[in-house]
Amino acid sequence: MSGFRKEFIKGIIISNPLFVLALGFCPALAVSTSVDNAIGMSVGVAFVLLGSNIIVSAIRKSVPNIVRIPVFIVIIATFVTVVNLIFHAFVPALYESLGIYLPLIVVNCIILGRAEAFASKNPITSSIADALGVSIGFFLALLIISLIREMLGTGSLSLFGYNLLTLPVLGDNPMILFILPPGAFLVMGLLLALFRRMGVMKGE
Amino acid sequence: MSELISIFLSVAVINNLIISKFLGLCPFFGVSKKIGNALSMGIAVTLVMLVASIATWFINNLILIPFEIEYMNIIMYILVIAALVQIIELFIKRTNLSLYNALGIYLPLITTNCAVLGITLINAQESYGLLESIVSSLGGGVGFLLVLVIMSGIREKLEIADAPSSMRGLPVAMLVGAMLGLTFFGFGGMI
Amino acid sequence: MKARTLREFFPIIFITLVVFLAVALLSVTYSITKDEIKTQEELKIQRLLEEMFPEMSEYTLKNEVYTVYSKGDTVGYAFVATGKGYGGTIDILVGLKNETTVKGIKIISQQETPGLGNKILESDFTSNFTTLDINNIFLKRDGGSIDAITGATISSRAVTDAVRTTILEKLEALKESK
Repeated sequence: MSGFRKEFIKGIIISNPLFVLALGFCPALAVSTSVDNAIGMSVGVAFVLLGSNIIVSAIRKSVPNIVRIPVFIVIIATFVTVVNLIFHAFVPALYESLGIYLPLIVVNCIILGRAEAFASKNPITSSIADALGVSIGFFLALLIISLIREMLGTGSLSLFGYNLLTLPVLGDNPMILFILPPGAFLVMGLLLALFRRMGVMKGE
Repeated sequence: MSELISIFLSVAVINNLIISKFLGLCPFFGVSKKIGNALSMGIAVTLVMLVASIATWFINNLILIPFEIEYMNIIMYILVIAALVQIIELFIKRTNLSLYNALGIYLPLITTNCAVLGITLINAQESYGLLESIVSSLGGGVGFLLVLVIMSGIREKLEIADAPSSMRGLPVAMLVGAMLGLTFFGFGGMI
Repeated sequence: MKARTLREFFPIIFITLVVFLAVALLSVTYSITKDEIKTQEELKIQRLLEEMFPEMSEYTLKNEVYTVYSKGDTVGYAFVATGKGYGGTIDILVGLKNETTVKGIKIISQQETPGLGNKILESDFTSNFTTLDINNIFLKRDGGSIDAITGATISSRAVTDAVRTTILEKLEALKESK
């Protein structure tokens, strides 16, 4: 069980997919305009990652080496389609605001990366731990970015339609830049520098 | 005609794939340190985008829509793009070895480039016709190339700039991305 | 010899099997979610119609035009207009009180810039259209009576133009069918 814990904790901070491994920027920058989107995206990524890690790990001994990557891509694309259909049916508002970034999970480097680098070499239990850890690490990173962007960019914070707080001054004059695309680069760049300063992120 | 020009400009500069849609960030931060490399990568991506858009348009209109299996689009698109990249690679290798040496190493990377899948998804979402899809993918490719080349020029200078140690590399590249994004807002009034 | 051939073909058999299983899983998921997706979309239109026509008791859909009834009397018409915005397609539900007056508009879906263009969702903008004469559906700067959103002229104009052209199209079609 200690192995399970080790693989689980690893993905959250030491090898955080976004801040340390610098993988999966595309969805992280695009959907971090609101906390709602960040949560939706994280749930989607977690589902696909968990599913693909389990299946890849289960078939790791029988999959022929030369068709390894195509097989992984088919597995990932299947889970992404399942997530798309489920989101479309049960959370249509979220499905719409995630737009093309939900299907684009299929080319998210984190997922193929974990399948290739971890799940294809390790047993199912540690692959599950790895998927959970990486998903939580991805979620925390996305949450930090989206909290900053939503609060500065709209002057308020809301969660699935409930307004949690409205900031003084900013509430009337939000810094719209932060929810526009350049704001994403700005926040991400400063956060990366901050994490590196704190020693969490290794240099290049 | 003006419709096509507006699609081209919109995809190329206003809704630039890299700067405002965040597609294809890996090559943007990864290979864009030399102008020559950026140019080759951009051309390779444009080529694959063009072929992929045409192929996915036919798949969409001849298979997915008639058989009402549009939900299979993700799996179909990604397999088609992967296969196309292989075919283009083989074709270039056989016909033009010097071009292959210039573009070769970038082609396999393109399979998992979100910009290519992204443009095919955008075309399907906007239900573009064949001609519109071609124009939109060309616009996407040109926009991609443009930003990659601009960024590589800036990064050549950044390499020798005296940035604080924690900002060097990726963080400062992100900030440059932010400034590029702001400049690109200037194109907003074009359509 | 036979064993070797089998081994050579194994990768192809394997990937075919994987694709087959994937397709099977997807069609099962699709058949489960299909009806839900359809009802969700219908519910959305119905909810927007109810917001637009609070007195609505029922509605019918014919030739892409919703006819809204209140206890048997026709109280208005509605249809979907599609505009080209800054970030992509904007779908708008347009309600008509009669052949000369707009009842109101509701945005069905949009991908405009958050904080700027997506203010077309807010009632500050959509209320511009409420009980508007169909000849005045232009932005103020184009000689009409609609206030454009500050900094988002493209989105405002996209909505305005889509609403106006679709109304004219539908009215034309209505006249021809009469």
